[in-house]
Amino acid sequence: MPIAFEKVSYTYAPGTPFSYAALKEVDLAIEMGKITAIIGPTGSGKSTLVQHLNALLQPSDGQVLVLDRIITHADKPKQLKSLRKNVGLVFQFPEYQLFEETVLKDVMFGPLNFGVSEEEAKKRAMETLTVVGIDPSIAEKSPLDLSGGQKRRIAIAGILAIDPKVLVLDEPTAGLDPQGSKSMMQLFTQLNRQYEKTVLIVTHDMEHVLNYCDNVVVMQDGKCVTHQTVKEFFNDGKLLHELNIKVPNVLRFKESLAKGGMSLPEGISDLQTLAKAIAGRIKP
Amino acid sequence: MSNIALGRYIPLDSLIHKLDPRMKIIAMFFLLIAVFVPAGYPGYGVLGVFIVSVLLIAKLRLNFIFRAMKPMAFMLVFLLMINVLVLRTGYVLFSFYGFTVYSDAIYQTLYITFRLALMIMITTALTATTKPLDLTLAIEDLLGPLKRFGVPAHEIAMMISIALRFIPTLIEETQRIMKAQASRGVDLKEGKFKEKIMAILSLIVPLFVSSFQRAEDLADAMEARGYVPSATRTRYKQLKRTLKDYIMLFVVLLLLGGLITLAFVV
Repeated sequence: MPIAFEKVSYTYAPGTPFSYAALKEVDLAIEMGKITAIIGPTGSGKSTLVQHLNALLQPSDGQVLVLDRIITHADKPKQLKSLRKNVGLVFQFPEYQLFEETVLKDVMFGPLNFGVSEEEAKKRAMETLTVVGIDPSIAEKSPLDLSGGQKRRIAIAGILAIDPKVLVLDEPTAGLDPQGSKSMMQLFTQLNRQYEKTVLIVTHDMEHVLNYCDNVVVMQDGKCVTHQTVKEFFNDGKLLHELNIKVPNVLRFKESLAKGGMSLPEGISDLQTLAKAIAGRIKP
Repeated sequence: MSNIALGRYIPLDSLIHKLDPRMKIIAMFFLLIAVFVPAGYPGYGVLGVFIVSVLLIAKLRLNFIFRAMKPMAFMLVFLLMINVLVLRTGYVLFSFYGFTVYSDAIYQTLYITFRLALMIMITTALTATTKPLDLTLAIEDLLGPLKRFGVPAHEIAMMISIALRFIPTLIEETQRIMKAQASRGVDLKEGKFKEKIMAILSLIVPLFVSSFQRAEDLADAMEARGYVPSATRTRYKQLKRTLKDYIMLFVVLLLLGGLITLAFVV
């Protein structure tokens, strides 16, 4: 298993009055080639967890296994740079990291840092801009003049241009309108299916988990509470209730129908299939 | 960031903490004047004992004071070197390789060291025992009489308190952007000179952009709530002078007077 946490603990500001244990002996293995959602309440350690994946944080205790590399607290930061080439981390509100004069230069910045040649970087930048749905005609514009959604796509392109095997996104749809977040999620599905990237998404939106993700990891109070496939997860009503998770609308509607006597087949998770199934029942 | 000692407020419960911030500022002002009274080493001795006892009453630990003084170590080494090279008065202390060091060079350096140490201790006694917001309130009050001459006392105080309010926010923001850029392969510690410049640029530009954004948002929010700087307003927190404050100021003035006497009369 190329991504695994083994008894990983992380404490912020150890040895001070502000000391705070964000992760407590987390054991977790992430499946490659899938889209994994990481959910949990605010302060449950989601962001701390994902920052271990490209060694921005090194575990206080335990070890993280990422693509045949073992990260412990003893590793020197210098040795960790090559890891960041393979694991791309997109932070919350990534649009604030843009700084170059033009969109193109900003996207090229990452690959150039990892020693890619100028030409190759440019080629990759143009490609990734197209992938994230940015019209190449604005490549010479200043990133600061663009809209929020466009900026975010450019920031994501900036990470994708590094060509990481694993893409980690911390609340990529925060602050986007419903249409924008839908197409953003579709982009990640495309990256996963078409470009075979392993994708990890930190999110609060259960609809996104249901519709776009394969696996789900639930964090609570610095611990990994459960890790299973999305299908199993949303079928386990008792667990959902225990974890106080808001069930997606489609599933709640289905549940209400079942209570009213109309039981539909298992595994329906999107609106259209549900509509068809109901229509099939109603028609004589 | 948590290891910066200079100018940091230490929340403790002591007599000094409870004094009126306005009186503390005035007292600090007089004490700083006292540092420049040419009363020689005995004068510095008296002043030093006074300040150290104030810091002890404030329940501050002395190693905190030393940490606050750390930044000036470099300056003092520099000063010592200049003095050794330039000052050629006093008696010869020692010489090596045909190079002589005179006593005044050492004395001058020590003199300035004492002065700086005292000044840092005095200002630390104020900043470590007074909440930044109380300080700005006090500054506003003290500048109040100058309003007649067009000094924007309230505006200055508001600017200072906003600046103080945003220091932790900016530190957090900086760390966030540093991490984001590190994910893009930026390495602030290693790399060639040109790469380092790029790295710093990749940090400063986003920081500037978001600071301007924040400033604009804050200005909008303040205007939306009808903020008018010149409006007369009441305060939730009232500063009160008590007998203790007057006693403190009296003691400080007595000390200043004593030092002046020591310098010019004795």
